[in-house]
Amino acid sequence: MKSNAGQIENLDPRTKIISFLAIIICIIVTPISRLKDFGLYFLLIMAIEIFSKLIFRQVVKRVFMLLPFVFIIAIVIPFVQEGDVCWSMKIGCLRLHVTHEGIWTFLNIVIKASLSLFLLVVASLTTVFSDFLKGLEMFRVPHLLIMLMSFMYRYIYVLLEEARRLMRARSLRYYGSRYVEQFRVVGYMIGVLFIRTYERAERIYNAMAVRGFTGEIMSVKRFRMSPLDFLFIIVIILCLICIVSGFIYRIEYVNKTIDAHLWQEL
Amino acid sequence: MARIIRVLNLNYRYPDGTVGLKDVSFEVEEGETVVIIGANGTGKSTLFMNLMGVLDGEGYIEVTGLRLNRVNVKAIRKNMGMVFQNPDDQLFCPTVMDDVSFGPLNLGWDKNLVLDASQKALAMVGLEGYGLRASYHLSYGEKKRASIATVLSMNPKILLLDEPTSGLDPRSASKFINVLYALKSQGKTLLIVTHDIFLAQEIADRVLVFSEEKRPVAMGNYKEILNNHDLLLENNLIHQHRHRHNETVHEHEHRHGYTHKHE
Repeated sequence: MKSNAGQIENLDPRTKIISFLAIIICIIVTPISRLKDFGLYFLLIMAIEIFSKLIFRQVVKRVFMLLPFVFIIAIVIPFVQEGDVCWSMKIGCLRLHVTHEGIWTFLNIVIKASLSLFLLVVASLTTVFSDFLKGLEMFRVPHLLIMLMSFMYRYIYVLLEEARRLMRARSLRYYGSRYVEQFRVVGYMIGVLFIRTYERAERIYNAMAVRGFTGEIMSVKRFRMSPLDFLFIIVIILCLICIVSGFIYRIEYVNKTIDAHLWQEL
Repeated sequence: MARIIRVLNLNYRYPDGTVGLKDVSFEVEEGETVVIIGANGTGKSTLFMNLMGVLDGEGYIEVTGLRLNRVNVKAIRKNMGMVFQNPDDQLFCPTVMDDVSFGPLNLGWDKNLVLDASQKALAMVGLEGYGLRASYHLSYGEKKRASIATVLSMNPKILLLDEPTSGLDPRSASKFINVLYALKSQGKTLLIVTHDIFLAQEIADRVLVFSEEKRPVAMGNYKEILNNHDLLLENNLIHQHRHRHNETVHEHEHRHGYTHKHE
């Protein structure tokens, strides 16, 4: 636990789930043509980031670590979507057309995904994972799902460590065999890892059963919504309403500022 | 003293046909510390699994006056806690407190009571203030002690400990033995599986020796058993051991887990 915890970190996990989910839903349903809105969402997320006292560079680093996955999925879209061709190229016998519609869809996915990722990174850095699970539990998310996530979080490092040990044992006895041979060994390793995991799962279940496990995960931790939590939710929802309804553009000053600065930056 | 555990003609075969236990019978008195020693693969851990009702072998098991069967298994598990050998199997929750409170919560205790019991259990093993730590960030010795706390919080009468000191450095091991002493002085019945004769010497009231035929071959007072040289040698708990001291080479015995002296 960090000692100089920001305001966001002390919020109830439920508060964070509600407000962050609301922001993400708003981001997703906003049509891509309203580019200005996305700038405002970005400002909102930045505000949350500043309140949480996270180091901006760390957050951005994590977002950039995740973004490639979005790109891998989105990169083909400009080429496959049909519409007005704005640019085409030829690689060998392959002819590729880029369409206007494709580019917009691509932007749609990338912008929304990066904003949502940004928010999720902030959320994950300010919430202890077990608290997050308790929050989900209080929202009646099925126990099975929560248990799956909880066990994954608990054992992912144990499994990685086990895999690493196998790799090390292999590399110490590896004297440069042929490719085919290597694939065979990798196959064995996957098999061994699977069996070990399976047996571990059995042992864990026994340890649970012996302590009276009946299928329900319970906890002694109690959460209470403080006035700060309600304040946070209300502020976030008001901000969202302002953005979605376009109310914010009626305020002369904001409109000017956006036109003067934000637009240019974008 | 009253009899608290009674096992009669217990047999167990693994699903693949390997014999796990062969005709095991013994009794344990209340408040007694019984150390079960045997070489690797002699069925010691299998016996524990059978006692807890995780594996069901053929035979008669009675714990605190109740016969182990499907109906009684819950009541028996309330009175008897088992700590597995690998702490990574025992500690499966995100934080230590979640793990320690897991048992009592499943027993349906009141939350305040659970919190109180969990804190007491953590204090008993010397892990006060570890509640919010993630269990995979603990050292191995701390994990071992946290594992015991997960069972102590249920306040069981009987504790089954599977290889409690394996993998611990000498200092952590002796700390651990202090915890066991504290439990013993509270009147808990302890059953400890180990191949560390040192541990048996330290804490046992009685010793049960398992042979490679997967059954107990001797049970008795710890002095009697641990001084029975032939018995220990035969059951692979001590071995002949060649040594070189400068120029002279000689053979002598080596007790497993025991720092030996040369005369």
